[in-house]
This record gives sequence, structure tokens and C-alpha cells, in this order.
Amino acid sequence: MTRSYVARRLLYGIPLVLGVTFISFLLMVYFGPDKTYELLGKNPTADQIREVRQALGYDQPFMLRYADYLKQLVTLDLGLSDSSGESVSSILGRTLPISIALVLPGFVLGNIAGLMLGLMAAWYRGKWLDKLIMSASVVGMSVSFLVIIIGLQILLCTPYGLNLFPVRGWQVHDLGSYLYFVTVPTLALVFVTLGYNTRFYRAVMADEIDRDHIRTLRAYGASPFELMFKHVLKNSLIPILTRIMFSIPFVVISGSLLLESYFGIPGIGLVTFNAITSGDQPVLKAVVGLTGVLFVLALTVNDLLYSLVDPRVAKP
Amino acid sequence: MPNTIKIAMLLGLLLLGGCGDPPATQNDVPVKTYKHAMDGAPGSLDPAQSASLYANFMVVNLYDTLYRYKYLARPYQLQPNVAAGLPEISDDGLRITIRLKPGVYFMDDPAFAQGVGRELHAHDFVYSIKRHFDPASRAQGAWLWQNRIEGLDDWKVAGSDYDTEVEGLRALDDYTIQITLIQPFPQLIHTLTQAYAAIVPREAVEKYGQMLSSHPVGSGPFRLDSRNDTRAVLVKNPDFRKEPFDLEDEGYDPASQADLGLHVLQGKIPPFVDRLEFEFITEDAARWNAFSAGELDFIKVPVSQFDHVLSTRSPLKLSPQLGERYHFEASPESGFIYTNFNMADERLGHHPDPHQASRNRALRCAMVKAFDWEKRNEIFFYNIGRVFPGALAPAVPEYDPDADISYNRRDVQGAIELLQANGWNENTLPTLDYGFPNSVTERQIFEQFRNFMMDAGYPSSKIRPMIFATYGDYQRAYSQGKVALINSSWTMDYPDAENLMQLYYGPNASPGSNSANYDNPDYNRLYEASAAMSESPERTAIYRQMNQMLIDDCVSINGISRTLLFLWDRNIIMKPDRSFLGGYFMRFVDLAEPSRAAP
Repeated sequence: MTRSYVARRLLYGIPLVLGVTFISFLLMVYFGPDKTYELLGKNPTADQIREVRQALGYDQPFMLRYADYLKQLVTLDLGLSDSSGESVSSILGRTLPISIALVLPGFVLGNIAGLMLGLMAAWYRGKWLDKLIMSASVVGMSVSFLVIIIGLQILLCTPYGLNLFPVRGWQVHDLGSYLYFVTVPTLALVFVTLGYNTRFYRAVMADEIDRDHIRTLRAYGASPFELMFKHVLKNSLIPILTRIMFSIPFVVISGSLLLESYFGIPGIGLVTFNAITSGDQPVLKAVVGLTGVLFVLALTVNDLLYSLVDPRVAKP
Repeated sequence: MPNTIKIAMLLGLLLLGGCGDPPATQNDVPVKTYKHAMDGAPGSLDPAQSASLYANFMVVNLYDTLYRYKYLARPYQLQPNVAAGLPEISDDGLRITIRLKPGVYFMDDPAFAQGVGRELHAHDFVYSIKRHFDPASRAQGAWLWQNRIEGLDDWKVAGSDYDTEVEGLRALDDYTIQITLIQPFPQLIHTLTQAYAAIVPREAVEKYGQMLSSHPVGSGPFRLDSRNDTRAVLVKNPDFRKEPFDLEDEGYDPASQADLGLHVLQGKIPPFVDRLEFEFITEDAARWNAFSAGELDFIKVPVSQFDHVLSTRSPLKLSPQLGERYHFEASPESGFIYTNFNMADERLGHHPDPHQASRNRALRCAMVKAFDWEKRNEIFFYNIGRVFPGALAPAVPEYDPDADISYNRRDVQGAIELLQANGWNENTLPTLDYGFPNSVTERQIFEQFRNFMMDAGYPSSKIRPMIFATYGDYQRAYSQGKVALINSSWTMDYPDAENLMQLYYGPNASPGSNSANYDNPDYNRLYEASAAMSESPERTAIYRQMNQMLIDDCVSINGISRTLLFLWDRNIIMKPDRSFLGGYFMRFVDLAEPSRAAP
């Protein structure tokens, strides 16, 4: 693997970022909410409407606005929020770490638990344990995320239940307070993702378990642990890595929206949702750009990991 | 360095990066903290952009206004805030002189020389009002004063140069403001209680520009400590002027307010709490859960919880179980909900042909008759909203409780007969677009409306939903005349019925607040004739006459004023308000015992 390989992968990402930003910007400009009337007073005149449109840059030609947008992305000067007047860079700097800290435990635990359950289900394929795990997965997938959140809140956070954790908030200042605020959102996230993860990992591993080399190893008397972790899991890593890597941008940007909204956590998902519903284009543009860049990075890291897992991938 | 240590350090950094506010303690001593739930979040905290109720609540705690309303007096009464007294008004009502209290200081901020807040002067007020007429400030409050103050509109046309004096808006000296009006405007003092009229130092605007909206620099009882999309924390401004609280002066009524425990506040210096924590929670379930868990001190009860909270609807009584933990108040909304007909649409509104105009009026009146206020109130407002005819809502003294309410009584047969008598049938009835911003409740309200109309023979396919992503998009559409049936609400800006009557004044037609685009010369003439009048029996008679015109012309299916239910912890000593007093009450909030320790 060479530096030129990495550079080449990053270079391939540029058209992707351009494409994503162009289409998103097009949709934002022509189909997104118009902020004009939210910024006007109660009895606006035609002149005041024109002034606000000018201030928002709505009177500029589309391509000029898009060029300005690209310039902002390149210079990282993302402007000010149309809603709060706060610098967009500082909004991202403030919210992104919170979202990562919020979803990281749930994401890691959900995937590890999914992998373990998937391995067990694949190993006992067709047996009662497999059926139990798969049925539980379907149940988990069928329950609405909202129901899970509200249910856990009532169960764990109110006097109607155990009242052990806060219903909402993010006053995190040390590990204890972090665990205090992150536990219930993490449980909700694990609950909602576990079913999907388990079914996916089981399918991948069941496919691998049928291969000739696994049957040969079994014939040689390899232990189940060695079989599953050394051979089945290792050889299934390509689709697993793909799933994990490509979930990251989604999880970071949008996956935490409901959690942030219902648990009152000031992360980037909530900021993005508010920007969409209020038409705060400076924030939206930054988030779209960030998502594009995250995807390119995920793609690149994914390719690098492929080549580590399977060296044949990196060969020219 | 081993990989595990590197990973641990990385996670540690991440965790620190994701940290939120520090706990509510000062040197490990619990501070007095009041936690207030709001069902929405403010956008900008710049007074010039404080259009929303949520922004208004916070701005009046961060900045000062000349006037406010008395904390406890109902009906609302004006009270000087930074002003030294009530204004001196010339005999012709055109010249208003307001004197300021000396010794009011802006809070310390790097915007000032040596970072020390300076004294608030009359020219700061003049500057703050001028900002509404400067396009660069993206201000939203100009409508309150446009065409009212001598020279102010011309100042804008001339380029909004702050160093150019406005004839009608002058600081005579550091402590005296003089306002000269184009014509008498009795509501002017009410406009000076609003967050729009909060006083901003020029140095801060010049230093922070648009970022003033997230970096307030005022002279109010609190200063901003932290803020994000879910909460804001305000802490006591130690330099706030020392004015002892006077129960009598604030309009205390022992007969109705003794239970609130307010008497202990007498003589104390506000603000009484060290921290105000605003929690912005749009989801009803999350807000209620947080309140039930004791994480909030106050909540406007979501309609979905009314059943749980009330033991009886008439009279409104709190369930005894909750009464042990909470104070309770039912507060009428200072505004109303309506469905306007777009009178600029010739298919159902004004029409140059008198015959067609008469048929259109019959169509509108038939739709009014077909509408079922009882069911609307029962299903969406728990049957505790107050239904009334026309625009004179119960919040104003001009409201007539003995008025004929046949306008609000359902009469399906009458509607059918009226349509038939005027040649309307399922083929000739126009297809009408009913607009609303996207939400489940709005959709339900639309479906109910369509069902009411179907009962009178209006074909379902001819009342179409017109759904918008945001209220701003919806407002743009109806302001451009693209919506035939405009379902909306109005929150009064000040406790004067003029604020309701202007809703149907012809020159205020779209994009103005007259979304019905009603233009009746008689109504307009009466509005103009009464514009210079203060509340009086004579004006009440005129307003009731105007209200009758709205009813006779079937301009709108109106209206209902919601009843809001408030609950707050018994440890909190206060009388909350979400109406004209708004966030001003927070400086007078106190706790019987200090806050519970933070987790």
C-alpha cells in the first residue's frame, strides 16, 4: 500500500463531494424552506420583503451562490447561522463532539452484540437458539424507535418507573455524569439497532460457514471458537467493515436526531433537523458539505481496511 | 505508547469535547435555580430580531425596556422599567417625553472601553429604535413604529445613517427622550414594553454585528451563561439596579393570590434566583416526562395530559393528587385561532359585480354555518377553549360576553338552504385550497374542517389540502394570495383591542397582517377614525360596530381562544405568565428552599 494509493482514493472523492453538494444545494435552493417570512415582522411591506431576500442572498443567481458555497467549504469560512447568528463553524465544533460521544457507546455495543448474536445464530442455524435470536431480532426491528425512547424514559427516568437516570439533558463534566446522561440513550440505540445488526451479521456468517474450507476445518476437528473467530469472522470482515464504515456518517449526522430531540441533547442531528425545518441554509450547507467529506473519508478508510484484511485488494 | 493507551486518550479527548454545561453550584454551594420549560426555542437573541414568544421571554431578561407590565395586576397595567415614570404626553397627543432612571448600567463586556459596562443613556434607546429601520440589522419590529414617528421612515430612505438625527426621535439629554408622532398613537407605550424596544448599546452592535444575536450585551436582570439548541442558562446580573420589590405597587391581590406565597418577597431585591435554566422541549411527551421526574419547575401542560391533570373541566380543577405537589393556573390565551377566507380571491371574496359579491358572501356564510365549533373545541382544545364571534377576543375589555353567538352555532340545514338559494351546487362550488404547515395535528384539523363542509354538501374533492414544509413557506403562499382558506392564529402584541381590529384593516392586506385581504371602506373609515382613541366607551362602541361588520360579511370562521394550563412546583414562589407580561415575571421568581443539588 502506498501514499499514492491513498492520494488516489482521496482524489476520487472530489467529484463525489462536488456531486453531493451540487444536488443538495439545488434541492435546498429550489425546494427547501424559504426563510424570508420567518425573518419579517408582522406587517411587512414589499420593500422589507425585498430587503430580507437580499440579506439572505436569495436574489443572487444560482451558480454564483453555488460558487460562493464551494469557496466557503474550501476556506472553511462557513458564515453565520440565519437563525441564531452564531458562527456555523462554532456550531459544528460544539455539536459534533457531543453527537459522537452520544452515539459511540451505542454504536459500538450494538455492533459487538449484533456480531456475537449473529455468530451464535449462524453456528446453531436452524436450531431453537437461532430461531429465538431471529424472532427477537424481528421484534426489536418492529418496535418504533420513538416507542423505545419514550418507554425507556418512563421505565428508567420517571417516578412511574425506576427513576434512576435523567429524562433529558447533557450536563457532562466527568465520567460519572457522562454515564449518567448517556446510559438511557445508549440502551435505546442498542435496542433499535441490535435486530438489524444481528440479522445482517448472521446472514454474512451463515454464508461463510457453508464454504468448503470451513467444512474441511471441521473435518480436521477445529474447535468451534477457532472456527468462528479465526476463520468465519475473519473471512466475513469485508461486508462487516463496509456496513460499519458506511453507517458512521449516517449515525453521526442523522442517526442521533430522535435521541437528541427526545433526550434534549444539543448534538448535530438536532441542529441539522432545526436547520432543515427552519431553512437555515448556512448551517444546512455546512452539514451537507461535512456529510460529503465524511463519506469520502469513510470510503477511503474502508478501502484501506479492505487492503489490510485482504491484501489482494490493494494489488494493482 | 501502547495502542490501548492511545485509544483511551482519544476517547478521553472525545469525552471532554462532548462536555456540556458545568453543574449548578458555586463553590459547592447549591444556587437558587429556576428551571423553565418552553415548547420551542428562540432563534436570535438580538432584540431587533426577537419576533418569537421564546426569544421575547429571554430578551426581556437580558436587556431592559422603558416599560413593562405590573407583575401581578390583571388586567395588565403599565409599569416603568428603565423609565423614571409614566410618559408626559402633550395635549395634542403628539409629543411624548420620557425620563430615564439614572444609574442603570450595561453589563461588563469587551465591547466597552476597558471591558466595563457604561451607563445606559437616552441615546441608546434612540439608537435601538433606529436599528429597526436599518436594513443591515435584519430587524423585525419596524411595523410597530413605521409611519408613526416623525422623520423615522425618511431616515431609512436617506440611507439609515445613525449619526443623522431623526426629528421625531431624540435624546434631549442623557436621561430624556422625546418622541414626536405623526398622529396620536395611544398604543405607543405598549410597544415600548416589547423585546423589540429593548435597549442595546451601539458599541456591542458594532463589535459583534450579526453575532449579537448569540452574544447579548444588555442591562437586564440576567446575563447569558450558555446556550444551545436544547437549553439556555442565564445567571444573575450582579450589577442590576437595586429596586426593592413592592407587592402593592406590582398589583398584588391577596384575595386571589395569597396561596402563591408571594408575600415573602416584599422588600427583597430582584432578581431572586441565581440561575434561570430554559429547557427547549418541542415534544410534548418528553416535556411531560421531564416535568414528572422533577427535572423542570414549570410546564405549560400539553393538551394530551389535560385528562390526567384535571379533575373537572367546569370549573377547571387540578386533580388532588397533583395539587399536593404543584401550583396550578388556567390562563386564557391572549389571541385566537381562526380560518380566514381570502377575500382577494374573486371566487369567494370581494367581487366587482354586486350580484356575484352577494353570492360569494352567501357561500362564505354557509361555510361559517357548516362549521362546528363545539366539535372543534372538544377534539382539539379539550372543550376548555372560549369560542366567540368576530375578532374581539375575550382577552380585551371590548369583548362582549352577552353578544349574540349564533355566528358560532352550527346550522347545517341553514347552510344547505343558503347555498341553494344562491345557486351554489356541487358543480358550481369553487375548488378551494386549505393551507397549513405540515404536522399531524394540522392535518387532523383540515380533515375535520373538510368533513364539516361535506355535511353541507361541499364535495370532498373541492376542498384540497395545501401543505407546506414550514410556517414561513405557508405564510409566503397566503401572503401571495395562493391560499383560499387560511387557517392561522394571532397572538396579541399588547393588551389593546386595536391590535385585533387592525387584522382586517384594508391597507394592512397581504403581505401585511390582514391575511383575509378584507377591504371594506366603512370598516377602514371607522378604524382610521378610532386610531387616535384610547380605550373608552366611545371606542368600544366603534370596535363592536366594526366587529359586527366582520360577522355580517362572513370574513372569517372565527374564533377560539385557547385556555392554557400551567403547573409549577410548590417550592417555586411565582405567578407565571405567557401573555403580555411574558418573561418579565422571571426576575420575581423565588424558591422556598434552594435548588436540589445537581447530579
